[in-house]
Amino acid sequence: MFSLGDLPLSERIVFVAFLAFVFLFPWIVRSSYPRAVMINFLLFAMYGLGWNLIGGYGGQVDLGQAKNVGFGAYTTALMMTWLDVPFWFTVPVGMFFATLESFAVAYPMFRLRGHYFAIATLCVALVWQQLFLFWDWTGGARGVELPIKPIPNFTYMQFGAIGSHYFIFGLFMAQFLFMNWFRKSKLGYELQAVRDNEDAAASLGINVTWTKVKAYLITAAMGALGGSFYAVYHSYIDPRSIMHIDLTILIAMTAMVGGCGSMWGPIIGAALLIPLDMYLAALLGGRGFYGVDFMIYGFIIMIVAAFEPRGIWGTIERARRRS
Amino acid sequence: MNQGVSGAQLRGQEGEVELMLLAVKNLYKEFGGLIANADISVDLDQGEIVGLIGPNGAGKTTLFNCIAGYYKPSSGMVLFQGVDITGWPAHRVAKIGIARTFQNLRIMPLLTVEENVMVGAFCRAGDRQIALREAREILELVDLAQEAHVHPTELPIVSQKRIELARALATKPKFLMLDEVAAGLNPFETKEIIQSLQKIKEEKDLTLFLTEHVMEFIMTISERVIVMAAGRKIAEGKPEQVAREDKVIRAYLGERYAEGR
Repeated sequence: MFSLGDLPLSERIVFVAFLAFVFLFPWIVRSSYPRAVMINFLLFAMYGLGWNLIGGYGGQVDLGQAKNVGFGAYTTALMMTWLDVPFWFTVPVGMFFATLESFAVAYPMFRLRGHYFAIATLCVALVWQQLFLFWDWTGGARGVELPIKPIPNFTYMQFGAIGSHYFIFGLFMAQFLFMNWFRKSKLGYELQAVRDNEDAAASLGINVTWTKVKAYLITAAMGALGGSFYAVYHSYIDPRSIMHIDLTILIAMTAMVGGCGSMWGPIIGAALLIPLDMYLAALLGGRGFYGVDFMIYGFIIMIVAAFEPRGIWGTIERARRRS
Repeated sequence: MNQGVSGAQLRGQEGEVELMLLAVKNLYKEFGGLIANADISVDLDQGEIVGLIGPNGAGKTTLFNCIAGYYKPSSGMVLFQGVDITGWPAHRVAKIGIARTFQNLRIMPLLTVEENVMVGAFCRAGDRQIALREAREILELVDLAQEAHVHPTELPIVSQKRIELARALATKPKFLMLDEVAAGLNPFETKEIIQSLQKIKEEKDLTLFLTEHVMEFIMTISERVIVMAAGRKIAEGKPEQVAREDKVIRAYLGERYAEGR
């Protein structure tokens, strides 16, 4: 069910080598900043894999993924501070809230197509960001600080750098295996059919709207899972870091730059963008060049859009087909 | 008015009315002020091959779209095996056993040929292995097994039409509507597709409803022909009968030609 057997041998070899590298990484690299970059990379690869479901396989440009990350993070943070419940108990609750909210907005939004759909998702996400900034009961703009527990702690899943590394690596693998199963599932094929041609899909007995809604809900749940990790990893959340449009854009970009609608795209995209983002921010921010990293992003987006809409993976595939 | 004969009449009229596979009753479809279909009534019996012909803009594709759930009829009824399916959405119509192909190809370009057909098979199958097996069988049937792992856009139009046919067959329909499946094919390819359609029809116990401009194609394959012009049904009957009717000749070739005959 989770087998990678349908993929070419070269891809499987590279992927196993990649897993081995990530697994051994904390023992190869001892300094803390690269370790943080690695954890962030895995987190964004995970975000990207989730977004790729609706954005890549479904072809719907959803610019509201930050709100789902936010629901997961806030649910975890607030439940752990107020109720002192274990981490794993908060995860399904966060996923449930994200799914519930998505279900409420999905039907009206999927009456829209293309750019209009993208704008609608963006607006909904902005509304939530403003609400979380404004509400006092969620901590408002101050955010939420999670109670610090003795480290390492399996009940609250708070760890040092190495523990966090394996924690996010496990979540990433779980999501990767899920996506690998999904793309070959009935819903996976139906979703790709809807992306490619809605009329044709309907003629084959596929309920186009309902298929999109289902994909949208799964994507929401996966965003919330990443958000829950974010909350316990940073022990602090606020609406600017997890509900923010910058996060949405970065998530969509990992999938788009890497290559939408493929297994490897989001991973490649995250591997390129996250180290770039973190080192650029450290390098340029430290010297007072705020915002230059965003210019570089914009440049990358322009290049990808102009030359290869199917991203880096699209380039690789095309080169391979030619040879 | 109607000098042709319907399927039920051909089989004799003794006793009660037979339950038709598909019955369209007094169907109207308007777009704004334009009447694309006016008072169309059509009956198709199980196992028939019926052709739908008419000049460009006669409303053939509109009728197909009304039956298949792509348009909601303005008035009238569509019955399938006695079930009123008027105004049902396309995906429900597909589930009940009506499949179609499109006049302008609607291929899924990012999926392989095999995956295109698998999506059709998923209409009835829940499991990937079953869908895959069915898709391979059907690709064999339409002579596309060699191209299973190719992307459809790399293939010529003839093959793309076969993919659409295969995809429609994979939904296991009882009733198959083909919208200009022979358009743009050369005589040899036309002959080929006639043969494979007849073979498939027998094998799968299908009822076929087809529109076509290629007269050679439609007159060879159809047991019965329905002629439309300017949104109305103007004639119905056996192909050789219909081809001799004045009204039909007039619709195709104009008043002057018909009078000069």
